[in-house]
Amino acid sequence: MSEAVSREAASRWGGGVSPVGVSWNKLMMWLFIITDGLLFAGFLAAYGFARLASAAWPDRLEVFHLWFISAMTFVLISSSATMATAVGAARRKEGQLVSQMIFATLVGGTIFLAMQAYEWTILIGEGARLHSNPWGVPQFANYFFIITGFHGTHVLTGIVILAVVAARALRGRLSAEGVELAGLYWHFVDLVWVFIFTLFYLI
Amino acid sequence: MAKDATGVPYSVYWRTWAFLLMLTLVMVILDQAAVPRPVLVLVLLTAMLVKAALIAGTFMHLSQEKLSLALAVVTALLLTGAVLFLLIAPDGLRLFQMKN
Repeated sequence: MSEAVSREAASRWGGGVSPVGVSWNKLMMWLFIITDGLLFAGFLAAYGFARLASAAWPDRLEVFHLWFISAMTFVLISSSATMATAVGAARRKEGQLVSQMIFATLVGGTIFLAMQAYEWTILIGEGARLHSNPWGVPQFANYFFIITGFHGTHVLTGIVILAVVAARALRGRLSAEGVELAGLYWHFVDLVWVFIFTLFYLI
Repeated sequence: MAKDATGVPYSVYWRTWAFLLMLTLVMVILDQAAVPRPVLVLVLLTAMLVKAALIAGTFMHLSQEKLSLALAVVTALLLTGAVLFLLIAPDGLRLFQMKN
């Protein structure tokens, strides 16, 4: 009886014992990425709403130094490439290359954060605040600080995670999956920046 | 050529990196050129999605995962993101028309 029931359930399920073919912690990381991605989707959709509803919007080229923001993008994309190489090296058990690439990623992340802090300092110096700014549309600075602030916090979190992974690698307690999970998070941070860069700075 | 355990040569990551940077450069140059606004927005959005697909597919190895995982991730993010925006965009436009 029970065997018949389980056979019936199995035929209905049809997904086998591993429907997505990844370990549970990698699946959890993907689920986290989806939910965190929806957080940013919400922010960007709200920003799109404000842009559509607003009669005017500040000229981006007057407010931002586009080549400076492009340099930030260059740094973050480069750090993603070094992280991908670190993940590949961890799978091949090339410990030294893993450490070097994680270190390069950490440097890239830190430079990106420093550049963002500089950008914030310039805009705050020009009078931008959370609820007001000199460019005439109060929501503009609000969305700018909230969206880039949340992203920057994610970068900072990524740096902490990578520092922990690097410390484990130095102590010889490296796990290829640990590097891969940290890598997934780091690439996600890069992925979100691709959307922010296009929707907030370019369009 | 050095490959990782899944058979991906390291050079794939760096070719992807070079392509991503090239796309970014083209986007920034186009943004400052005299391109009609609707065309510019369409090109920028397309380039943005291509960059996102490259990062997810190559850097995050989503192209090597089971199709079920890739579909779950992409559908969840793209569909809910689109629904989110499409639900509130008409209200944004209506507010804009009321103000003008």
